[in-house]
Amino acid sequence: MIEFSHVFKRYPLGTEALSDVSFTLAKGEMAFLTGPSGAGKSTLLRLVCRLERATRGRIVVNGHDVSRLSPRRLPYLRREIGVVFQDNRLLNDRTVFDNVALPLFVAGMTGEDVRKRVWAALDKVGLRGRERAYPLALSGGEQQRVGIARALVHRPPLLIADEPTGNLDAKLSDDIIDLFREFNDHGVTVLIATHELRHLERLRKRVIRLGHGHMVDAA
Amino acid sequence: MKAYLGRHAQVFMRTLGDFARSPAATLLTVAMIGVTLMLPTGLYVALLNLQRLSHHWQPRGSLTVYLKRHTDTRATAARLDALPGVAASRYISPEQGLQELRTRARLRVAVGILRHNPLPAVVILRPRSQTAHAVAALARQVATLPGVAHVESNFTWLRRLDAVLALGHRAVAILAALLGLALVLILGNTTRASVASRAAEISVVRLVGGTNAFIRRPFLYAGALAGGLGALCALIFLELALWALDGPVQRLDTLYGSAYKLVGLGAGQALGLLALGAGLGWLGARIAVGHQLRRDQG
Repeated sequence: MIEFSHVFKRYPLGTEALSDVSFTLAKGEMAFLTGPSGAGKSTLLRLVCRLERATRGRIVVNGHDVSRLSPRRLPYLRREIGVVFQDNRLLNDRTVFDNVALPLFVAGMTGEDVRKRVWAALDKVGLRGRERAYPLALSGGEQQRVGIARALVHRPPLLIADEPTGNLDAKLSDDIIDLFREFNDHGVTVLIATHELRHLERLRKRVIRLGHGHMVDAA
Repeated sequence: MKAYLGRHAQVFMRTLGDFARSPAATLLTVAMIGVTLMLPTGLYVALLNLQRLSHHWQPRGSLTVYLKRHTDTRATAARLDALPGVAASRYISPEQGLQELRTRARLRVAVGILRHNPLPAVVILRPRSQTAHAVAALARQVATLPGVAHVESNFTWLRRLDAVLALGHRAVAILAALLGLALVLILGNTTRASVASRAAEISVVRLVGGTNAFIRRPFLYAGALAGGLGALCALIFLELALWALDGPVQRLDTLYGSAYKLVGLGAGQALGLLALGAGLGWLGARIAVGHQLRRDQG
């Protein structure tokens, strides 16, 4: 599902965020991406959904050669990936329903289909009945779950999350990671960047370790 | 197709909603566009009326032919009437001329003093063709006929008026082009600001796979809608102006003893103005949002 081969990412001021990173994440697999702050976890995820471009190397995501993708094709790659951020990136002037429905609107879906899918997604993250609320009226954990509902409402084959539990207490944090595992059980490929070692021990899934831009362990 | 229309209707309704949520800003933009469009349109309507009025005052391009004294003026008149370029003619004998003068109160005393009739016989010709060229040619031809003393045409001043009106039309066209550009710039600027204020939303839409067309759509609707509403505003201003001018024009008309009614834009032209406003608004928004999106993609 994700294939990095000899990927480098250098920023204009000369800092090298990633150097010679290679790994493969198979379809249906779930893995944690970990390492100290500044190791390049966020950069790696941003390369996967091409929020940034690699300086060198080849990245293939769900069959797309990401570095060669034309701007016109880019939206279609993004529709195959669900992305969850630490700061959840919700639109505060829109209701929970509209936030979650956004990936469906973008793909041209309208009417009853949208409603069913949004309800199903909110149901899954335990927020059924909060459709009409605005994000700022929700707690941090609830907001994060709205972000997750938005990431999976269009049933993408790949889900990536950047520190999805960063601001949450242990209980909420576990709930959210369990949610990801549940999606993985349904066949979604999942890649989670986190520095909370607790999850790694609790779930016993594959761990990809980065250290200062280098691959430490991809086993 | 139904889904496509549904999607557009949805964006359109959201745009209307956005307008309703910020009525002051919307009203300002729309009024600004209204004034911008009102200026060239108002001038155009003024010219239209001036042109109609000039037709109203004078049958266009008539020739006044003064005949020589002591010749057979009736025979000359008959020859003039028979010319192929003449549609109609009216013979005014010296006696009739004097009679006409007498009917004018102020001249009656002066005419009374005259011992003999100083007026020549006159023929007024209406040329068959009303083009400047044809009327001028006819005037030259008539002047060479025996028995004709002098040909006068009201054509010179009409031609001058035409030239002035043509100049006016050209000026209106230039003004319209400039103000059309202003409209594009106004909406471009408004759109740029609105794209900037929705940067967070745009980045999220991109992240979940929104195409550029999807991102552009609401801004294009907003531009076209603001342009169209601005044009509507201009039409309303114009009607108000015509309504305000109608009274004075009526008074002027009574003094000149004619009946002239101001004309505004026809239904077709009004629709055209609305379409033009919407089109220019769309264009301004398209340029601005396209520019922003290209810059984002870097």
